[in-house]
Amino acid sequence: MKPEHRVQGIMNRKLSRRAFLVSASTVAGGLSLQLLPVNALAGNPSASQPTPAWGGSSDELSPWLRILPDDTVIVSVPTPEIGNGATTQHALNIAEELECAWDKVKVEFASYSRELRQPGSYAVGLQPFFGGHSTDHDRMPYTLQLGASARERLKHAAAARWQVPVAEVTARDSVLRHESSGRSLRFGEVAAEAAGVQLEVEPSIKAQSQWRKLGKTQPHKLQLPDIVTGKAVYGMDVTLPGMVHAALLQCPVQGGLLKNHEPDAVLSMPGVKAVVVIDPAKTPGSPVQADPTFGFEGSELRSGVAVIAEHYWQAKRALDALPVEWDLGLGRFWASNEKLAERQDQVLANMAGDPLTKAGDISKVRPAQTVEATYRTPLCEHATMEPLNGTALYTADSLEFWHATQDMQQAFWVAVDESGLDPAKVNFHQTLVGGGFGRRVIGDDVRTVVAIARQYPGVPVKVIWSREETTRQGAYRTPLAARYRAGLDEQGTLVSLQGETCFSGMALNLGYADMAYAADGGIPNVRLSTSNLPTHFYTGAYRGPCYNSHAFTVESIIDECAVAAGADPLQYRLALLEHWDPAWSACLRIAAEKAGWGQPLPKGQGRGIAISNWPHSGSRQRGATVCAVARVEVSKAGQLQVQQIDFTFDCGRIVNRDAVAQQIQGGIIYGLSMSLSEGLTIVDGAVKEGNFDSLPLLKMADMPRINIHFEALSGHDRFAIIGEAPVGPIGPAIANAIYQATGKRVRSTPFRHEDLSWS
Amino acid sequence: MTSISFTLNGQPQSLDIDPGTPLLWALRDHLGLTGTKFGCGAGLCGACTVHFNGAAVRSCQLPVAAVGGANITTIEGLSESGDHILQQLWVELNVPQCGYCQAGMLMAAADLLKRVPNPSDEDIDVQMSNICRCGTYPRIRTAIQQAARTLHGSEQQKPEQQEQGV
Repeated sequence: MKPEHRVQGIMNRKLSRRAFLVSASTVAGGLSLQLLPVNALAGNPSASQPTPAWGGSSDELSPWLRILPDDTVIVSVPTPEIGNGATTQHALNIAEELECAWDKVKVEFASYSRELRQPGSYAVGLQPFFGGHSTDHDRMPYTLQLGASARERLKHAAAARWQVPVAEVTARDSVLRHESSGRSLRFGEVAAEAAGVQLEVEPSIKAQSQWRKLGKTQPHKLQLPDIVTGKAVYGMDVTLPGMVHAALLQCPVQGGLLKNHEPDAVLSMPGVKAVVVIDPAKTPGSPVQADPTFGFEGSELRSGVAVIAEHYWQAKRALDALPVEWDLGLGRFWASNEKLAERQDQVLANMAGDPLTKAGDISKVRPAQTVEATYRTPLCEHATMEPLNGTALYTADSLEFWHATQDMQQAFWVAVDESGLDPAKVNFHQTLVGGGFGRRVIGDDVRTVVAIARQYPGVPVKVIWSREETTRQGAYRTPLAARYRAGLDEQGTLVSLQGETCFSGMALNLGYADMAYAADGGIPNVRLSTSNLPTHFYTGAYRGPCYNSHAFTVESIIDECAVAAGADPLQYRLALLEHWDPAWSACLRIAAEKAGWGQPLPKGQGRGIAISNWPHSGSRQRGATVCAVARVEVSKAGQLQVQQIDFTFDCGRIVNRDAVAQQIQGGIIYGLSMSLSEGLTIVDGAVKEGNFDSLPLLKMADMPRINIHFEALSGHDRFAIIGEAPVGPIGPAIANAIYQATGKRVRSTPFRHEDLSWS
Repeated sequence: MTSISFTLNGQPQSLDIDPGTPLLWALRDHLGLTGTKFGCGAGLCGACTVHFNGAAVRSCQLPVAAVGGANITTIEGLSESGDHILQQLWVELNVPQCGYCQAGMLMAAADLLKRVPNPSDEDIDVQMSNICRCGTYPRIRTAIQQAARTLHGSEQQKPEQQEQGV
């Protein structure tokens, strides 16, 4: 599958709203509850847990929800936790309907193996990956139903015990009450009896207006007490008896091959146990048809070598001493960033790529004025604070692995593919994730760990990428160039827009081909095309994939048109969006007002505005619309300081205000770092940067004042995802502010590479 | 191999170890204390921050040989029951996102508060040089300033609001 198709498949991967059954049973003296896919029962109504075709146990399902005799509520969460509170939200949805006390709730990660034992488990509203639409509105009914079904069973059990009508029993804060008799029972006291309750119909879920927790409370993430005491277990922290450690080095030019190495030079060093080769030609392949979320493309092994030693430090020292020779391969063709830019310009010269969006006829427009520009965004590394790593124990007939992944389904099948084992013999433990941002989706890291462990069987092997290796073996943000030719009439109105995006890697056109300005006839004549310039670099999802570039290019060309028209950039956008989803205009107006738009600033200071939406730029009342006004100061010598960001948004409604604020805050800062500072340097096909000395991420001292305003929230009935959208408008708002401050237009990121001096 | 003795989180500790091993890896691999994190191995990110005789240091840059006789405190020993004021506020204010860098942040912040009871924004900018990729800096600043006010009844003005509506 072409990468673009693959990615669009991800974006479109909707829940199939399958029917499900609620199944209750007794576990450890308490109540356990499952959602069972109805098709799991097809043809054999008595078998609730069919045995999959390739064998494997069918009786080891952990329930989605357990209520123990001491009132503890254990929620089994199918989604990895990458720091955005997905697990907490999942549990809060259940607690809303269950009416349990929040301090009784604990979460644990579900095992993906459930899907093998009970096919369809993850289709009933519970998805094992984090990306795309895994946590939004679509998932809520299922978690709410779990809570409601458990609550009703508890109420029935209490009613039976008291011999009163169930309608007279109330549930609140983990206590069941019968008001008129003054009796009460804790949930845990009737949990076992509740497991035996047969309901004629499952209860319906509450109307939103009756919610007591969702939208009303703002609990902190459930993991925090463990995180602040050092007890939380990330992939890096997995510790197993007899575990050994591996340090690895892969070809510095991606796609190159290990030519020669001399294990004898290091095998006698302290602690060293083995030197193994990572050979992409030796992947065994899955023995059954695999079902990775995103396919295996991009997860291939990267040729290299690993040293296994008792301790990591010993492995790393030996690796540093290991003589290694590479066949760097064809990637060396890409000698520099300039070489890439030169080729991008050649591709874009004729704007002859495949048209994605067409309206009117651009060839017939005779504009009074033409604005032309090419914009560029570079390769960027995710730089998750937890370097890539993983732990695996391989034996002749089993694989057990522990990994910090964003996608349990993808990780599982990559491990099957690299072990060659029957999936029933592969067991995966999800850990906390020390930063994802898209880097831990495709599973190349899982594959590498399995490939190394496979060559050192019988002992758990923890594989750790150094920071330099993590940086140089990225699955980077796609380098992108975009060229635009805009036509303005006598009044400066935008009457035609021709554009082309040139991708080198994963290509996704959301936020470009469906730009709101063109979606509703706001610009009558449009031709937006795309083209491809393949390189050897691995690319992949990067917080708001490709959108994070499109927001920059689209909001820059619109701004340039406003300037050419002699118009105020805010008013120019408002006019273009006049007939569009009014939330866009509200976001623009409120952000501008809060930022003091229009109030004079001295030369060297400026405000800039930008707006975008992820992932539904071309639809009204969908996705998250986000707007930023940046205020900057640029010294005459060209020193840029971002002073303030005012941010508005519309994602419809919100269920946890503090969690939303935190995601927006994080997204803004990610967007700041990406736009101001980040961009990898290509040297003869390799990435030059290694550690944080050459890969400067923003720190505390670099933070502007960040004002997040909630006033533009429309209240429309959707809970759109909010973690990625805020990355988009930050860079272009700053670039547009730089223009206002200095008269200089910056068309490439990162801005630290641009000469911003003025006189 | 060398035998090295030091005090770790208040308890005597002895290790037979290659004296060049960074303290970070001695803690993680040899002593099983994984709260101290590996982030860069070059003293650049601060994820591995611990207290060496009370002062914040980056343990990836400190050979274990250098800690003989010293007093080392890690995140596991910052407080007896996880209730250091910063730990409490970190939870209450929902500071961490992924959380990976936060042990280092907490150790750096605890050291700052000891030395500078009422840190200014500039003090925080200078002293809190650790890297967080999730973007928790504004909340870390808020938590440190709130801790200072709680501990020392700071006369310093309440900091300007960093985020409206948050």
